Amino acid sequence: MGVLVLALVWGCGNSANPPVSSISIPDVPDLSLQVVAFARLSEGQVVARGTAARLDYRRSGGRLVASRATADVQPLPGSSLAAFGTLRFVAQDAAGEVPNRRGTASGGVRLDAARGDTALTERVEYDGDVLRGNAPVAAHGPGYRVNGNGLFARVDGSAIQLTSGVEGQLEMEAPR
Amino acid sequence: MIGFGLQFTLLVAAAALPAGPLDFKARNMRIEPQERRVVLQGDVQLSRGDLNVTGQHAVAEYGRDQPATAQKPRGRGQSTHPEAGLGGQTVQRFTVRGNVHVQRGSRTANGEEGVVDVPGQTLVLTGTPDAPPVVRDGSEVLSGERILLRLDSEDVDVIRPRLVLKRSLAEDGQAKPTPVRVEADHLVLLQARRLARFTDDVVVRRGDAVVRSPRMEARYDPDGQLTRLELRGGVDVRQGERRATGETADYDAQARTLVLLGDPKLYDQGDVLSGDRIDLGLDSKEVRVERARGRLRPEAHKGERGAP
Repeated sequence: MGVLVLALVWGCGNSANPPVSSISIPDVPDLSLQVVAFARLSEGQVVARGTAARLDYRRSGGRLVASRATADVQPLPGSSLAAFGTLRFVAQDAAGEVPNRRGTASGGVRLDAARGDTALTERVEYDGDVLRGNAPVAAHGPGYRVNGNGLFARVDGSAIQLTSGVEGQLEMEAPR
Repeated sequence: MIGFGLQFTLLVAAAALPAGPLDFKARNMRIEPQERRVVLQGDVQLSRGDLNVTGQHAVAEYGRDQPATAQKPRGRGQSTHPEAGLGGQTVQRFTVRGNVHVQRGSRTANGEEGVVDVPGQTLVLTGTPDAPPVVRDGSEVLSGERILLRLDSEDVDVIRPRLVLKRSLAEDGQAKPTPVRVEADHLVLLQARRLARFTDDVVVRRGDAVVRSPRMEARYDPDGQLTRLELRGGVDVRQGERRATGETADYDAQARTLVLLGDPKLYDQGDVLSGDRIDLGLDSKEVRVERARGRLRPEAHKGERGAP
């Protein structure tokens, strides 16, 4: 979900000729984009791409607000996240402060991984390299299904935890 | 001597674990896809069918033989193939650590570490030198260096068992049966055959009686009551000043007598008796020797009850 915020931040400059609206009234965004598509490049490779129904940018504080945002992230080979394959993040609302590398995704946040994992929660906060959530999380994937009351994850995938009380099921191999 | 029951293994209705997922609870869950495992931390509870396992920490390891099927997320995307999934989508092995407690039916077990081999349907409990793994069923207690509980039956395999059996048959004039301790290098409890097989340096202690033998089998009736002990490979019985040896010994739990065969000999304060068969009443301390021959020294028994 932080990746989503970051991806939106990164992708802002890559949008494909979006329509531009008002930029001069203090209470409104300096830049408002409708139907945004973006891509994130790293070392010449596309590592994330996504869309948003609307993206507002306020120059002051470098604040971005997006609605109906989607981001597909391709983890770097060899990274902890690589095992999941391509990750798709979807959030109803996302907001972030680019300089501070902080943000939130809320209004229903969903993650789907190519491997078959899915996670749903109401709200996630991103701070630096860490994602945190205090809302209930429901996740399932290959061989597991779990409900937790919070989450903690590092965006490089080196830690992925459901916290604050978890319960679920693990699929068992058949007896020999 | 004996009169004990290993029947605790036999009282639990045998039933294989039902197929399907294992339910869990814990404080936290960590997903480690590269290591193909899931880690549960804090007050871990695992349950499946009538099996419940608790501990402080658990690791569920996924198999490697069934590659996960990559699924493409909806919409546009790049390469969707994970470079290394969890592998198989089912858990092959669980390791639970820290105050491990196992409950299945009326049987409980405790240890420091428990490893569940899911395809093999076993649970191996280990402990520490100061706190070895223990299995309890009612008042019966079995410990050893390593206890393997079969999950598809009630069979138990124990390395260096230390057995304290308090559920002995009632004895005349005694409100509580005398505890019996059994030690051996190896014990296999075969529930379906109503058999407990001890091997390698079997030692049975009851009161002042000590019986040693390389092998011993304990047999039970359908109610779980001990019916017979069969000691083989050379038997040495010591009780006070008395010693008896033989190639084999059979203990009849109903009669509470031990029958020595195979060149049996009785040694008692200088008396040496041999015969075709020696019956020892270990409660009554009566001895009967068939076709007795040997050396008696009456002067050694002066002052004994019943002596002239």
